[in-house]
Amino acid sequence: MMTIEAAGEGVVAVAGRLDAAQAPAAEVFLNGVQGTVTLDASRLDYISSAGLGVLLKTQKRLAGSGGKLRLRGLSKPVRDVFAYSGFDQIFEIEPAA
Amino acid sequence: MQRGSRTQQPADLRGRAANAKSRSSEADSARFAPQIGSLMPLMVFAAEVFARRGLPPEWLAPVQLAMEELFTNMVKYGGERREPVLVQIAVSPGGVEVTLTDHDVAHFDVTQAPAVDISRPLHEREPGGLGLHLTRRLVDRLQYSYDPQRREARIAFRKWQAGGGQQ
Repeated sequence: MMTIEAAGEGVVAVAGRLDAAQAPAAEVFLNGVQGTVTLDASRLDYISSAGLGVLLKTQKRLAGSGGKLRLRGLSKPVRDVFAYSGFDQIFEIEPAA
Repeated sequence: MQRGSRTQQPADLRGRAANAKSRSSEADSARFAPQIGSLMPLMVFAAEVFARRGLPPEWLAPVQLAMEELFTNMVKYGGERREPVLVQIAVSPGGVEVTLTDHDVAHFDVTQAPAVDISRPLHEREPGGLGLHLTRRLVDRLQYSYDPQRREARIAFRKWQAGGGQQ
């Protein structure tokens, strides 16, 4: 399961598993964000290429209008996937709050 | 998901087949309809095997990720309705071996998929191809075989402990 929801001004919290089954729902939600957004992923346990694709699309869309998607609090398995895909170079990643 | 009991391993994996605890030469197996809705049962199956066989918990995420990427590739490119995908998980001394067998499909060697340049800047990045790239990074060996008479594709990958005797 995956949950994604607004968690304060400019912050979105995602939790659970962002896999190919859950990626469409995450994409629908993230299509509605604007500006610079922090994605709190401290409770995200798992991400696959489908989830990465959603984040990449969101980052490109936001960057096109001067914004960006920042990530916060990646677990080690998720951080490893970011590193192996080079996404740690195209996303600003903050430690957990 | 159609749960199998325990099935004999494929011949190409049989050499090192043994449960780390019981030394069984069997593999856990189950069949999954080739659709995205099968992902959750597939992940649950992997987690159950890991728990029952006492496999290292830190391997579960990379093994599940490789399983998802290979399975979703089968779903995307496998064409119209066909038989369920057979998934087998076997424990060997120092490692785990996972095999996915798909039926009535065309040849596509996942080990020959083009490399992804992960150093490209944001505006040049596209999500395509990342799944197989990640799979190759996360597992220790990836093998593909195809039987043209049966139109059967078999993908096997292995995860080993460092110094665990990879062959």
